[in-house]
Formats: sequence, structure tokens, C-alpha cells
Amino acid sequence: MKNILTIISKEFARFFKDRRLVLGTLLLPGLLIFLLYTLMGSVLYDDSHTYTVKAVHLSPTFAQIFAAEEGEEPSVRFEEIAASEAEAAKEEILAGNCDALIVFPEDFDAILAGGSYAPPGGENTPNVQIWYDASSGNSSSVYSLMRSALDTLEDNISNRFDVNSPAAGGGSLTSGEEAAASFYAQLMPFLILTLLFSGCMGVAPESIAGEKERGTIATLMVTPVKRSELVVGKVVSLSVISALSAISSFIGTFLSMPKLMGGNIGDLFAAYSAWEYLALFAVMLSAVLLIVSLISILSSLAKSVKEATTYSVPLMIVVMLVGLSSMLFTTSVPAAHLIPIFNCVQVMSAIFAGNFSAVNLLIALGSNLVYIVLLVFALARMFKSERIMFNR
Amino acid sequence: MQEIIRAEDIRKTFHLSRKQRQIERSKTGKKVALDGLSFTAYEGEIYGLLGPNGAGKTTMLRILSTLISADSGEAFVAGHSVSREPDKVRASIGFLTGELKLEDFFTPDYLFGFFGRLHGLPEEGIRARKEELFRKFGIDAYAQVKVADLSTGMKQKVSLVISIIHDPSVIIFDEPTNGLDVLTAKVVTDFLLELKGQGKSIILSTHIFSLVEKLCDRVGVIIGGRMAAEGTLDEVRGGKSMEDAFFDIYKREVTGK
Ligand SMILES: Nc1ncnc2c1ncn2[C@@H]1O[C@H](COP(=O)(O)OP(=O)(O)O)[C@@H](O)[C@H]1O
Ligand SMILES: [Mg+2]
Repeated sequence: MKNILTIISKEFARFFKDRRLVLGTLLLPGLLIFLLYTLMGSVLYDDSHTYTVKAVHLSPTFAQIFAAEEGEEPSVRFEEIAASEAEAAKEEILAGNCDALIVFPEDFDAILAGGSYAPPGGENTPNVQIWYDASSGNSSSVYSLMRSALDTLEDNISNRFDVNSPAAGGGSLTSGEEAAASFYAQLMPFLILTLLFSGCMGVAPESIAGEKERGTIATLMVTPVKRSELVVGKVVSLSVISALSAISSFIGTFLSMPKLMGGNIGDLFAAYSAWEYLALFAVMLSAVLLIVSLISILSSLAKSVKEATTYSVPLMIVVMLVGLSSMLFTTSVPAAHLIPIFNCVQVMSAIFAGNFSAVNLLIALGSNLVYIVLLVFALARMFKSERIMFNR
Repeated sequence: MQEIIRAEDIRKTFHLSRKQRQIERSKTGKKVALDGLSFTAYEGEIYGLLGPNGAGKTTMLRILSTLISADSGEAFVAGHSVSREPDKVRASIGFLTGELKLEDFFTPDYLFGFFGRLHGLPEEGIRARKEELFRKFGIDAYAQVKVADLSTGMKQKVSLVISIIHDPSVIIFDEPTNGLDVLTAKVVTDFLLELKGQGKSIILSTHIFSLVEKLCDRVGVIIGGRMAAEGTLDEVRGGKSMEDAFFDIYKREVTGK
């Protein structure tokens, strides 16, 4: 026991006193994920941009519908101009100083109020012109915004019935944010497993295959420390470091979520009880231990860090695919919770969906514990095998 | 004379990987490293395993230090069987070889404490021993320098000091002066003689004749995994220089087959 603590404290000293490792494994992943997701979010939801549209004889009815469709944060500014300035406005569109030009017939609202049916393409059919630049993204999107408002306007004129009118009711039972939240909840197990895996990849191959490659592990093996103590010390410290690395990534993900989803994920997280968080923590811990033991076994089979990394790639692919399985299907069959990693994914996705079962959680944790103990035993046996530890 | 190390009919065959098979040009995929090796070393003496490269010296010393195990035969160190009581053997030996490396990242000071604790020494004991050994080998000035930044000679001294941290009664030393500059080599050989003076038992391997003549009380000449000649230094030399004697033995061993 004392030897295990000595080994753990050495592994921690090796890690925490090395600024490069700490930066690379603990700070960088979280920071990178935060920056990346925030960047993605700001590209996806670029609401800071405002469009300028010049309008001739701007119809008040249209402006009203357009404003209603845009919602709370209007991004299009209409600038009324005289009909004679239309040609100049087209030049400005080409120069990129203005996003679009919309030209209404004079007294458009009065024509609408007149209310008689006008055949499409007819001689006297009123026409709204929209001039824009199809080669510019901004111009194109403002064009489609206006098209859609015009379509609504046209529908309103020939209205026979309403769909989901605000007065009569109807609509999505969840808000847009909640829908996005549930999508990310399904993605979460995959994200968590991937982060755990990469955290572990940052330390385990180096600590086991690296020590083998450099001949430092043999120095330990001629001391009275038992192989099993060495293995337990390594697995425990690698698990702690991998978990810390995963937490860093997790914090990065968490902080960037609102930006990425264009909404607030805080509500989603506040929705879980302490129990559910505890369950989540337990599942994540068992996943870390499983992954660390598996990578450690591959690392001790390898002759070098490079080889260990190569061996781990297939495992990573399998773990990531299993992580994605919750997007396709979920199961509450208890027996399915005996399958390692898969059980973590299923329990996590059940927790996020708010319907996890204590029985399945216990089956998952219990069976994972058995696998971890077996893997650690296997690892200890491997450390005793000279063919593995001293292979050339 | 009390016997301290005994090897009885030790055999060891390595199974070669595909890459090694090509290098060794072996068709069977097997390499017999030790072919029934027996010898005895006595307390308070320096025993030298002398042999050319590939003779099996390192393999024999690794078996004695419990890093690897023999296919058959039995070996005893300080009265303990290497196969049945490896923990007791490890507690009574200090094993040193160029292949046992120290982690580059740590300082001699940290590593000394780390290994001291693994050997179960109390903290004050570690401190006192560190002071004594660091001063003796001139490590004190480098105690806080990372191993990565030490010279090869200094690294070797730190390894040496750490391997005898627990004051073992038996010292196993594979190629003690390999890769060392002459000054460090002298420090090491002087220290081995000093340890002998303290009553420690030492077994070392080498391919350097002069080292055997300078240090060893007893010599075993290994060729092809077998003991080709064994006895006191003078018995093995038979009135000649160690070098001449070795080549006579070598010729006899090779043509005798
Ligand atoms: N781990 C190993 N795998 C395969 N062959 C080995 C291994 N260790 C040693 N050998 C082979 O066994 C023979 C004896 O090696 P060794 O004991 O290192 O010799 P020495 O130390 O006398 O030079 C050599 O032919 C060597 O290639
Ligand atoms: Mg050798």
C-alpha cells in the first residue's frame, strides 16, 4: 500500500511539475474546445451583422410582416429612397455598400386593399422588384428573407384559413432551445467518451510504453516493489490525470455551449438532480478506469510510445462508434448494460434524457468494476512477463 | 568460505521475433542464450563473468536479479531462490547495468528519495545515506539538476548510488565500465574494491581482460552460454596473462565442439 502511494506521488510529480504536460493535457484541450466551439457558434449564429436594404415606395404592411418574421433582434435596416435613385442603388449593391434594393409599385398597400385577384404574369399584375447580388452571401440571405416575407404577405391576402395562428394555438411543444438541448444531450456521451479517451492518450502511452522504451521501468523492477503495486499505482494516477484532462475539456464544452447552440444550456443542466449528477460522475469514473486500463494494456504490449499510439487507434475508433450509438438507439434492457463502454453510453444518455434506471446504473457500474479488476490483473501479469516487458 | 551465489545448470532460450530472426539469421526462431550454466560465488569476493559479446553474461545476471526467469535450473542469491523468493532476493541485491535508466525528468535528489522509499527506508535514513553517498561521488553539486542535463559519467554515478541505496550485501554489476570515461571508470572500480573491503559480495560481467585482472578473485569464462573455464583468477590464467589464457580457452572450446 505504501509503495502504491509512493508510485502515485512520483507519477503526479512527473506530470504536475512538467509545465508542458500540464499545459498540453489540462489547459489546452479545454481552451481549444472553448475557442473552437465559440468560433463555430459565432459563425453559425452571426447576428451581429446588419443588412442595409434600400426601398422605393416601401409598403408599411410588408415592413410589418418582415419585422414580425425577423423576431426580437432585427438585423435588416430599410432605407427609403426615391424612385429616381434606384439606378444608383444598384451600383451600390455591386460595390457591396448596400445588400439589396426592393421596389414596390406606388401605393402598393392600396392595391392590396383593392383586393381583386391578379393573374400571375398578367399585364396589370402588380410587381415587386428585388435587386440583389447572388454572388454575395449577405445579399442572398437578405433576398430570401424578403422573399419569405412577401410570400407570407401574399398568403395573407388570399387567406382562407390559418395554421397555428397565435390567437388559436398550435406549434412545437418544446422551444427551439430545448430541441437543440436534447440534440446535444444525445451527443454528450460521445463527446464525453472522446474527451476521456484523448485525455488518457495524452498520458498512458508515455507513462508505460515510454518508460519501457527508455529502460526506466526495469530500474523499478529490481526494487522490492511488487508488480501489482506498480500497476495499481500507475492505473490510479493515470486515471486521475485523464479525468482531470476530461474535466478541462468538459468545462470548455460547457462554457461554449450557449454560444454553439445559440441559446442557453444552463437550463438543461439545472434540470438534473444531485443524484443524477452523482450517477453521471460514477459512470464517467468507470469509463475512465476502463479506458486507462485498456490503453495501458496496449501500451505495455508496445515497444515504444509510437507503437502504443498506433495500437490505440482501433480502440479509439471502436469507443467513438459506441459513443455515437446513443444517437441511433437507446435501450433499457438490463442485459445490454453488461457490455462495457456501451453501458456507459446508455446510462449517460438515459441520465440526459431524464429517465435513467437505478438497476441499469448498478448493473453497468458493477460489471465495469469486474472488467476493471480483470484488466488490472491482466496488466499485472503482463508486467511479470519478461516477454512483454523485455521484448526486443 | 561461505557461498553467496549459486547457479545450477541454468538454461535459457529466447524466442525471436521476426525482425530478430533476420538479424540473427536463425531458422528455428530460437536462440539458446544459456546452455546449462553452473557456478558458485563466495561471500566477500568479487566474481567476474568474462566472455565475448552474446555469450550470455547479461542474461545470467538478469536471472540472478529476478528480472527474467530461467527455463530450467535453479539459482540462489544470499540463500534465497530467485524463482521462489524473488522479493527477498531483490531486497538483498543491488543491480546495476547501463540498461537500467533513470527518468530524465527528475533530479538525483528526488530519485534518491523515491527509490529509498520503495526500499522501505525511513526518511531520516534516506537523508543520512543521501548525504554520505552524494558527497562521496561528488553528486551534491548536481543534486537539484535534472538527470537529462547531467553528463553520462554523472548519470552513471547517480545510478550506482541509487542501486546501493539500501546497502545490499550482494552487488550485481553488468559491464561496470562500459561507456564511461576513464575518470568515472576509475571511481567505479575503486568503489567496487572499497565495497569488497566492507565485506560485500560482488558479481560482475565484462569482456575487458584488464578489469578482471584488476578486480576479480574468481573468474568464470562464458562462451556460447556455457562455462568454458572457472576458478580463482590464478587458476584460470594458469601463469599467462588473462588475455592469452582467454584465447587458449576460446580455441579449445570452439574446436572441441
Ligand atoms: N530479450 C531477448 N530476446 C531475444 N534474444 C535475446 C534477448 N536477450 C538476449 N538475447 C540473445 O541471447 C544471447 C546472449 O545475450 P546476452 O546475455 O546479452 O550476452 P552478453 O551480455 O554476454 O553480451 C545473444 O545472442 C542475444 O542476442
Ligand atoms: Mg551484455
